[in-house]
Amino acid sequence: MKFFSRGMVLFFAGTCWIGLGNYLLSSPADPNDAAQASLGKTIFDARCSPCHGISGKGDGAASALLNPRPRNFTSGMFKFRSTESGSLPTDDDLMTTVKNGLYGTAMSDWAPFITGDSLKAVVNYMKTFSARFQNEKPHPVHISSQIPSSAASIVAGKKVYAKLQCANCHGTDGAGAGVIAKDFKDNWDFETNAVNLIEPWTFRGGSSARDIYLRFRTGVDGTPMPSYAGTVSEKEMWDLANYVVSIGRKPVWKMNENEIREFYAKLDAQAKADPVERGKYLVRTIGCASCHSTYTDDLRLVEGTQLSGGLTFDLYPFGKYVARNLTSDMETGLGNWTDQEIKRAFTQGISRDGRKFLPFPMAWPAYASMKEDDQNAIVTYLRTVPAVHHKIPDPEKPNIFSYLWGKFRMLILKERIPSPAYPMKEATEQQPVSQISPSATKNFAARADREKEARP
Amino acid sequence: MKKILKWIAIGVVCLIVVGFIAFLYLIPPFDMLPREAFSQPHAAAVASSLDKINDPVERALAKRGQYIMSISDCNGCHTPQGDQGPNWDEYLAGGAKFEMIKPGTAHSRNLTPDKQTGLTRRTDEEVKRVLRSGVFHDGRIFEPTFMPWPAFTNMTEEDRHALVTYLRHIKPIKHDVPEWSPNSSAPLNSFYPYDYAEHEKKK
Repeated sequence: MKFFSRGMVLFFAGTCWIGLGNYLLSSPADPNDAAQASLGKTIFDARCSPCHGISGKGDGAASALLNPRPRNFTSGMFKFRSTESGSLPTDDDLMTTVKNGLYGTAMSDWAPFITGDSLKAVVNYMKTFSARFQNEKPHPVHISSQIPSSAASIVAGKKVYAKLQCANCHGTDGAGAGVIAKDFKDNWDFETNAVNLIEPWTFRGGSSARDIYLRFRTGVDGTPMPSYAGTVSEKEMWDLANYVVSIGRKPVWKMNENEIREFYAKLDAQAKADPVERGKYLVRTIGCASCHSTYTDDLRLVEGTQLSGGLTFDLYPFGKYVARNLTSDMETGLGNWTDQEIKRAFTQGISRDGRKFLPFPMAWPAYASMKEDDQNAIVTYLRTVPAVHHKIPDPEKPNIFSYLWGKFRMLILKERIPSPAYPMKEATEQQPVSQISPSATKNFAARADREKEARP
Repeated sequence: MKKILKWIAIGVVCLIVVGFIAFLYLIPPFDMLPREAFSQPHAAAVASSLDKINDPVERALAKRGQYIMSISDCNGCHTPQGDQGPNWDEYLAGGAKFEMIKPGTAHSRNLTPDKQTGLTRRTDEEVKRVLRSGVFHDGRIFEPTFMPWPAFTNMTEEDRHALVTYLRHIKPIKHDVPEWSPNSSAPLNSFYPYDYAEHEKKK
């Protein structure tokens, strides 16, 4: 026993003690950390999960209709950073995004509602979705001193725009004129567009020269926009930023009488010239897909079923109606319908076979006020939607007694049936909203495969 | 004589019953009316005059906003429903009741520029935030199946501005709409953020 001297025993004991102390200090059992994590989760679940999903995968209830899609935090890839291409964003970057929102997207500016500790907590919670944040450190870029905008700098910037072939994606005028590529996919397989450079209020990460400089310098990860670090000099990047700032046009809220008249005339002309784009815009903003899609039992839109119908409305005593398939499938969709028949259906509520729609939930009385050009645009766009084979059952009418009893309740007893809320109530209470047929599932899978193959 | 009277009485009763059933069967709601009965009042209500607006820019914006509003069918929920369709006198005054098991009961809001009960209480930014992100003035998020804000978010910022401009110029109607009441028996799903304010207070 002489081998272990008293000193050595003390030394070992001390080492263990220090080690234990270190362990305790660094352990996550720290009550402050736990409180912050729970606060972060509460805020995230309440405010972020409707779009980003409870598990941060970008698959929240609202996600299927949004363009661009909400960020998938599990991939650890972020678009708007002040760090090198491919690197993680700094905490400040994430906080800026939460505070200011992303202009031109559904991401709200949370500054009035999430501040101080709450902001830090939610950003820290967001970072737990990807393992990258534990293993890597962000590499902030060195931002060189800003070159103030001047006529010379703008001219130089224009040359850089040509040299870097920005026009290939953003168009010669910055607004997409004469582009060679329009249909981009991002790393998450969703459609993405080159930003319209003459509308600075839609620049996601802000429209100051510094913000624009950062987008060239860092790239927009996950999209075809690369980082130009090393390709051009720092001065050229600032010139380019000054040039992009200089080509921004006036938004409608700053226009005068003549400008706004010309602007709206131009929009109408554009809509006529490119009906597919206009139709896509109308179909998306009106939200055709919010009903003409398949939903799960807890009212989540099934990804990939957009516009192929399936949501059931139980409108007792008028029957059970299922939203129709609007894709260009010959048998189950609109493939066989003439333009006139489609227009009559959504403006007069008369189906191809002469069946009359109720005035709701299909809002054809509202669409009746649509301009002829817009009606044509919608038809043109719907023809371009890839066909999905999804057979929709015909409306189920109740038997005559049930129908009369329902009308009696409605007209004499003044019960409020059917009300727009009725189908939603039914759906969450008793029965699934709709069933996807096996053939439909197969078709969605096949469609996804086809789209994947078509991509380079 | 009595027999005849009896038969007449029976006949009358039968006629009344058959007549009532026929009345119930044939009375218009919805599927029996001509199509114009729905679309024309809609068009008439929507075409409220905007020519009184003095500022030509405001007028141009409001006219575009009006068109966007009418084709987006804001009426569908925000104009109160009567027995025979929307009550156009209360155009966009809100109040339609939506009862749902999970999130609770909500009433469509009053969109008219009334000072106490309408949208005048909210800034342009607050209204646009609702249309863009489904976030209420107090930070609550809409259930996306309530109001289809995930569709309206695809609107350009300029069209959204036009829409808000239009809402500032419609006829103000005083209509106090009940606030949201969450369903307390439903499991507290984190998706519905009514517990959030409490959490903030405790802090």
